[in-house]
Amino acid sequence: MELRELISSFSIRHYRMVTIVMVLVTLGLGAMIPMIKTDTDPENMLAEDEAVRIFHDQAKKTFSLSDIVVLGIVNRENPDGVFNPETLSRIFELTEYAKTLRWPDEQQDGGGAGEVEGGRAAGVIEVDILSPSTVDHISQGKPGEVKFEWLMPQPPKTAQEALEIRDRAMSNPMLKGTLVSEDGKALCLYLPLTSKDLSYRVYKSLNEKIASFDGPEQYFITGLPVAEDTFGVEMFIQMAVSAPLAMIVIFLLMLFFFRKLVLVISPMIIAMVSVITTMGLLIGLGHPVHIMSSMIPIFLMPIAVVDSVHILSEFFDRYDPKIGREKTIRRVMHHLFTPMLYTSLTSAAGFASLALTPIPPVQVFGVFVAVGILIAWLFTVTFVPAYVMMLSEKSLANFGSAAAHGHEGGRMGRWLAAGGRLTFVGAKGIILAVLVLAAVAGWGMSRIQINDNPVKWFSKSHPIRQADIELNQHFGGTYMAYLVLEGQAEHGLSSDYLEAVNGRLDKAVEKLSQDYPGAAELGKQAKKLFNEKAASMGDKEKLIEGKASVTNDKEKPSEEKAAAGNDKEGLLGELIVALEALAEQAKSDDDYDAWTELAAFFGLEKERLKIFKQPEALRYIEQVQRHLERATAGGGKLVGKSNSIAGVVKKVHQELIDGREENYRIPESSAAVAECLLQYQSSHKPNDLWHLVTSDYQKANIWVQLTSGDNKDMNQVVATMEKFFKSNPPPMPMQYRWAGLTYINVVWQDKMVSGMLQSFLGSFLVVFIMMSILFRSPLWGLICMIPLTVTILLIYGVIGLVGKDYDMPVAVLSALTLGMAVDFAIHFLERARSTYSEKGSWQLAVVEMFGEPARAISRNVLVIAIGFLPLLAAPLMPYKTVGFLLCSIMAVSGGITLLVLPAILRLGEKQLFKRIEQPRGMTCNCGFCIVVSLATVLVVALNIHQYAVVGWSKLTWISIAAVPVMALVCSVISRRQACKTQEIANRADEK
Amino acid sequence: MLKFLMKMTVLMMIFSWSVSVGAAGPEAMAEGVSAESTSSVVSVEGAAGSAEEKNPEKKLTVEAIVNKANLMAYYQGDNGKAQVNMIINDYEEKIEDGKKKIVTKNTRTREFNILRGDIEDGGDQNYFVYFIKPADVRKMVFMVHKHADIDKDDDRWLYLPSLDLVKRIAAGDKRTSFVGSDFLYEDVSGRSLQEDKHELIETTDEFYVVKNTPKTSQSVEFSYYNVRIDKKNFMPMKMEFYDSKGKLYRIIESLQVETVGKYPTVVKSKVTDLNKQSFTLMEFSKIEYNIDLADIFTERYLRKPPREAVR
Repeated sequence: MELRELISSFSIRHYRMVTIVMVLVTLGLGAMIPMIKTDTDPENMLAEDEAVRIFHDQAKKTFSLSDIVVLGIVNRENPDGVFNPETLSRIFELTEYAKTLRWPDEQQDGGGAGEVEGGRAAGVIEVDILSPSTVDHISQGKPGEVKFEWLMPQPPKTAQEALEIRDRAMSNPMLKGTLVSEDGKALCLYLPLTSKDLSYRVYKSLNEKIASFDGPEQYFITGLPVAEDTFGVEMFIQMAVSAPLAMIVIFLLMLFFFRKLVLVISPMIIAMVSVITTMGLLIGLGHPVHIMSSMIPIFLMPIAVVDSVHILSEFFDRYDPKIGREKTIRRVMHHLFTPMLYTSLTSAAGFASLALTPIPPVQVFGVFVAVGILIAWLFTVTFVPAYVMMLSEKSLANFGSAAAHGHEGGRMGRWLAAGGRLTFVGAKGIILAVLVLAAVAGWGMSRIQINDNPVKWFSKSHPIRQADIELNQHFGGTYMAYLVLEGQAEHGLSSDYLEAVNGRLDKAVEKLSQDYPGAAELGKQAKKLFNEKAASMGDKEKLIEGKASVTNDKEKPSEEKAAAGNDKEGLLGELIVALEALAEQAKSDDDYDAWTELAAFFGLEKERLKIFKQPEALRYIEQVQRHLERATAGGGKLVGKSNSIAGVVKKVHQELIDGREENYRIPESSAAVAECLLQYQSSHKPNDLWHLVTSDYQKANIWVQLTSGDNKDMNQVVATMEKFFKSNPPPMPMQYRWAGLTYINVVWQDKMVSGMLQSFLGSFLVVFIMMSILFRSPLWGLICMIPLTVTILLIYGVIGLVGKDYDMPVAVLSALTLGMAVDFAIHFLERARSTYSEKGSWQLAVVEMFGEPARAISRNVLVIAIGFLPLLAAPLMPYKTVGFLLCSIMAVSGGITLLVLPAILRLGEKQLFKRIEQPRGMTCNCGFCIVVSLATVLVVALNIHQYAVVGWSKLTWISIAAVPVMALVCSVISRRQACKTQEIANRADEK
Repeated sequence: MLKFLMKMTVLMMIFSWSVSVGAAGPEAMAEGVSAESTSSVVSVEGAAGSAEEKNPEKKLTVEAIVNKANLMAYYQGDNGKAQVNMIINDYEEKIEDGKKKIVTKNTRTREFNILRGDIEDGGDQNYFVYFIKPADVRKMVFMVHKHADIDKDDDRWLYLPSLDLVKRIAAGDKRTSFVGSDFLYEDVSGRSLQEDKHELIETTDEFYVVKNTPKTSQSVEFSYYNVRIDKKNFMPMKMEFYDSKGKLYRIIESLQVETVGKYPTVVKSKVTDLNKQSFTLMEFSKIEYNIDLADIFTERYLRKPPREAVR
């Protein structure tokens, strides 16, 4: 190949220039790193215009919901728990302190510090804090009295008062399980934030305050916003520790293998330079560093090191002072250039395929790791030879295998040679064993549990994780989701509706006549007025519909329809005005009263349109809540608590009547409901109601507290409710939707899993195509795919068997597996083919193969596997996972490559090696063409499927149509003159 | 029962001392209501003696000022009546093109009649509030016997027609919302002058500015409030409440003052809660003073409200 000679000669000759260019590029791009912007919000796993995010934001706005920091207080020393004067006064103080956690809003007004005055500040939202001193309590006072008061206006002075506070809170279903634990011993404060990215700041401030308390209390802070934000902060610290640590270990290992400090430095330089340039490029292009992209250095390092380890390993084995460094490196580069190019291309392809997932941060991650791999390749093929040239022959003295261990290469060499013999003798056994293993792994994979939970990203000893465990045992749950019910008002004035109103009017008039003698006559007038107005409005509506069908404009009619939806309100409004005017003109008080009553009748009809003021709707919500709280997984309750407008009405009703348990219910009439609601609004915090219902009573929000943030549990709740809604239709048309962080996590997880699977399939095909091209044979391409296929089966099979959740890091690692495993396979097969053509038989070739090439692979495996072991000590679970899986991936893929590939080559020696003896132009190979075309079509189909919402059936037809076309093109190409002559020549040769 | 006092007052003021000043302050919201100056400013004859009127600035003590303002706001006439239209809005501040914009949302309304009967000027008085709208709370009644004596809690009743219940509201915290609005119960019946320490902190061409600090801080959520009192007629025009951190969080304004009969009367007032980000407008109509009113402020009238309250 021309290119490889060109590049290596160039870097050998102009090694200084190569070095200078590399340093300049690195410094230039590295200078961008200080511009770093971070984004630690998992919500950004979904594009901003994703439907669920839009709805979530809408719901937050509609109901003024905020992301919540949960602060639990437990006192184990006191038999009454926290309900003693000392603890409660600390809680009081903590609440007052939490109110002060406000800072100038940087996002909103560009850092105007003076703006705090006008209420424009970011931090804890004081009016929405849930704490004993900020929630209202409604209860019975003296007989016949109803009482509204703060639950704890001031810290209690005596033990008795403290217990009274407990009893009050426990008697309020809205507070029990939410504010006070089920056992009445612990308290939880809920601190809503203007923005969840302030969680860590609030978390830190609270911890500072807590540290100033002495007392037996324990404090627990958790909640998804805190977990997510804190993870973001700790992640960067972790990255700053882990990446250099891994680097050092890798460095020491290489020093152990190659013994020459000066030489070992070069892979380190490559790794550092690749990481710096890639991160610089990422940041320079304006991408924020997300949880995903923060892992780029960790992924890039092993890949960047691998190629230079191959070079070094071979250089180490071949170096002989007699030949000299220049010749040795030239020879090494000649051997390794093609495999290195292909391994880098395939690894890059594996990661680039992540760009196909519909998750923006994963796309960025995939693309930049791919870019980083290519940068690493470029620096490896240019700088490593240049570096070798910069060393003097003298400094290489005593270097090389020859000098170190004699030609056999030490203990590792002996083991490998034995392994080589084993693959030759026991080929069938190996294949059989791997098949069995793969089958078991396949079964394991089927048991894989897809699940994630940002709180579980912390190890069990982390305070946030402990808080999560502690609080979810005693309270309704620290994970929030919102189930939003939305009334679907019927548009326009249907005859059914008019009939119903008429019927109710008749009844009302009848009743009215008992009190007012003239009411019957006035009622008739009112009815006439109503039906006349309704008729004229109905005409208008028909006009609108007529217009719509003519214009066929999709936007306009819906607007006009919506306006028509207000017809009922409009009609009733007009009627009320008309009747009130009649009342004002009334001659007698009786007539005045009658007209007023009639106006009020239509006023009530207007209120009837407000769905979530109707007792039936509230009872339905009650039913929904009961069902929600019944959702279970593995016997455990998932929803600890839910709050809704129905609960509010029930509680107020109970206390207004007499406080007895049996009056904790929805009253019979909508007017009674309205009275309860108005009383609730006569509290200190009237606006609390608007978290649960909109002021037009068309949408209601059920605040669901889950004791687990595991996506599988949220999924379970969603599924349970789906079933419920299907079999229990609401009393009036309404639809339901989910919002809340816990739910959002489920959505992006679903996307991630299906996205990863598709992108993995895509990259599998791309790699296969590349391998087929590299080896000029789909068969060899297929063999090359075996180690990575087996590796993935085994790794994910074990994950399934062990019961480890398939979460974000696990999903992303599949791309790395693909890159690494194929790497070894390429190196091995490429060398196997060239060795075979030299030696002429596999029996001879295998000895050679288990010499230097096998050593290179083994060294790589060891360096990287051990290099990433320190990650296991990280306090963050995703890092542990990555460390563990990196180790396993390297070990398994290295092992499989060295065992299975030679076994296959041994068994299929005749069929496999016959072909490579007479290489033909690949365009002349019809079978090759068809297979590659097929794969290409599939890749394209996968891509289209991900981006456009094209159904499989449509896509299938396109693909199926494409295949024969490509086959035809293939056969035309392979039948052209050039191929024929070559074939004749081949035949002639055979003779 | 009712003592006939010379001065007639407007019932208007029932709700707090609200009175409007011409231009709304910087905190005033930009929506709808343009803050107009009082259309007719009337000097108060009775309440303030003529001697004081000639040389008001020097002679008036802060006690005299707050007393006059109290009478102006809560005790005009012997009794009074009005229909009140209450509009409650949430608002949101948005920054568009570098400018602050106020967007209102979630509008809800209430309509009720309010009757007031004074027992003694500056002393005890009664209130009867009869709800008209929303229609589903029509006929609901809220009644107060206000006691000027600081040691005697007000008596408060509630009648809920659909639940057919008469409930007394327990004494104690009066700083809860009045039917979901930004007005508090205490704004309705007035805060006793004895509860606060008063200081005259500023005298401008138009206003006395009085700072009021509660004598016991435990029962209230504010640390102090300032009242701007119109020097011409002693109408309180603006009250600003500050929290324990010294942050302004609540404003009551009189947006429009008109003369009804001979009484300066606030016909439009507004409360803004900066923390809750909501504000409430009250518009008064059908205002009457010194009507012929029997003693309707008793429990038995709750279920059968008098005609004066209904119509």
